[in-house]
Amino acid sequence: MKNISIVILIIIFSTSVFAGGPWPQQKGKGYFKLSEWWIVFDQHYTDQGLIDPNVTTGIFNTSLYAEYGITNRLTAQFNGALVSRNYMNNLRSNTTKEIIVAGEAINRLGDIDVSLKYGLTKPGSKIPVALTLTLGLPTGTPSAGTLNNLQTGDGEFNQILQIDAGKGFSIGKSSAYVSGYAGINNRTNQFSEEFRYGGEIGLGLAKNKLWLAAKLQAVESFKNGATAETVSSTSIFANNSEFTSLGLEANLYVTKKLGLSVGAAGAFRGEIIAAAPSYSVGVFVDLSR
Amino acid sequence: MKNSILIALALIAMTFTSCIGDDFLEDFVGQSLRITSAIDTLEINTDYQFEKMYLNDIGQEETADVFWSSSNTDVIEINQNGLATALAKGTATISVEFDTGEAILKDSTQVVVGETTVVAENRIEGRVETTTFYVLEGDFVYREEGEKVLLEFGEDYVASNRLPGLYVYLSNNKNSVSDAFEIGKVTTFQGAHSYEIEGIGFKDYQYIVYFCKPFNVKVGDGEFNF
Repeated sequence: MKNISIVILIIIFSTSVFAGGPWPQQKGKGYFKLSEWWIVFDQHYTDQGLIDPNVTTGIFNTSLYAEYGITNRLTAQFNGALVSRNYMNNLRSNTTKEIIVAGEAINRLGDIDVSLKYGLTKPGSKIPVALTLTLGLPTGTPSAGTLNNLQTGDGEFNQILQIDAGKGFSIGKSSAYVSGYAGINNRTNQFSEEFRYGGEIGLGLAKNKLWLAAKLQAVESFKNGATAETVSSTSIFANNSEFTSLGLEANLYVTKKLGLSVGAAGAFRGEIIAAAPSYSVGVFVDLSR
Repeated sequence: MKNSILIALALIAMTFTSCIGDDFLEDFVGQSLRITSAIDTLEINTDYQFEKMYLNDIGQEETADVFWSSSNTDVIEINQNGLATALAKGTATISVEFDTGEAILKDSTQVVVGETTVVAENRIEGRVETTTFYVLEGDFVYREEGEKVLLEFGEDYVASNRLPGLYVYLSNNKNSVSDAFEIGKVTTFQGAHSYEIEGIGFKDYQYIVYFCKPFNVKVGDGEFNF
């Protein structure tokens, strides 16, 4: 069994709030976003869902998210951390100020997700529905550092089958949309399978130059994988993580196709996962407009 | 376009500029001094070497210029190296003291002089309990058997099997595993089990500490009340 840290789930779910959903790209059109996502946390949710402290840990990902319409109903997606930094603080004695456990950091390639989204409904449908198959490639480093507790990936190949549905509508002169999804994440290397679901609502303002979005995401572990009790290897990381998080994102088009994005998200319920908000800033190019 | 490139470069730079900072552990426990060797009865006209351990404010062992004494020098005589000689039948209290400059630390043990030497039974019962929101509890027996020390847990022991990287240590600081003795990774999460420990003295450590390596935090502890 390979490793998974308490933060990887949040990394996986740090994809674009703005793009995606049940709307495939038109043929030849695309959406590309370069973003910085980060989380720094000194506490985490325990297996009881309560909060305990930990040594301050940080993850900074420079990620590329891309969508490209192969046909009007088939879209290829890429979401990968091109550079990922994971660090832990020094642990010092408050009495002597000497280092007890030295902090460490790694800078590596992170995990990459590649997906194919197929529109089950015709383009322009009132309630579009799309099916997405995602392959999670273990391109990151699952274990590094003196205590093997640094990582930029989960070290396992997973497959996610997800269905999305949504609807666009108007509120006065403003455009808006709502969407939801549910999916199953089949994982390898004795990791527990997961049920994932969520919803998103977005509102376009200032003639759709500014989009505000709120997103609820949840992961429920089947808890059918290995635990520390059933694994005899030296693996030191947890399995069976789960959470429910709320994210907010703003996307501002500074030109017709170019825009800036800022966002924040945080788990308000979880097990074996970081208990701190994550943030993101990015620049995107939207070729669909 | 230039602005976009600048923004992209700034994003990438953020990844590399996040620095390793410092977290501070409250590890002050105060200085202590204890006699680590013990006998119940010392055979008359024989010698016995007493040992002591001085621990600094964070539970680390340091050398100390201590003062040994006997409450009854007609029964037991002891020199400043801790070597005791049984002179006559009776009872005496052997004490060790250290003046830190701020306080005088002291430990003592009562010894009987008789026909044969009897080593004290080194056996302590206690309980480990969680100090976090992870499940960890159970009664233990800590005892000496020959050259080994045994740490035995009973049927009521239970620990969360979902905590990553749980290790058990013996330490003289219940908040830290710095300079602690690592017994090993926890592999039993429910029920009776034991650890055989070699290379340490029975009174070398005062606490059992459960520690999560990936999070660098203590999970629970237990104390040896010597």
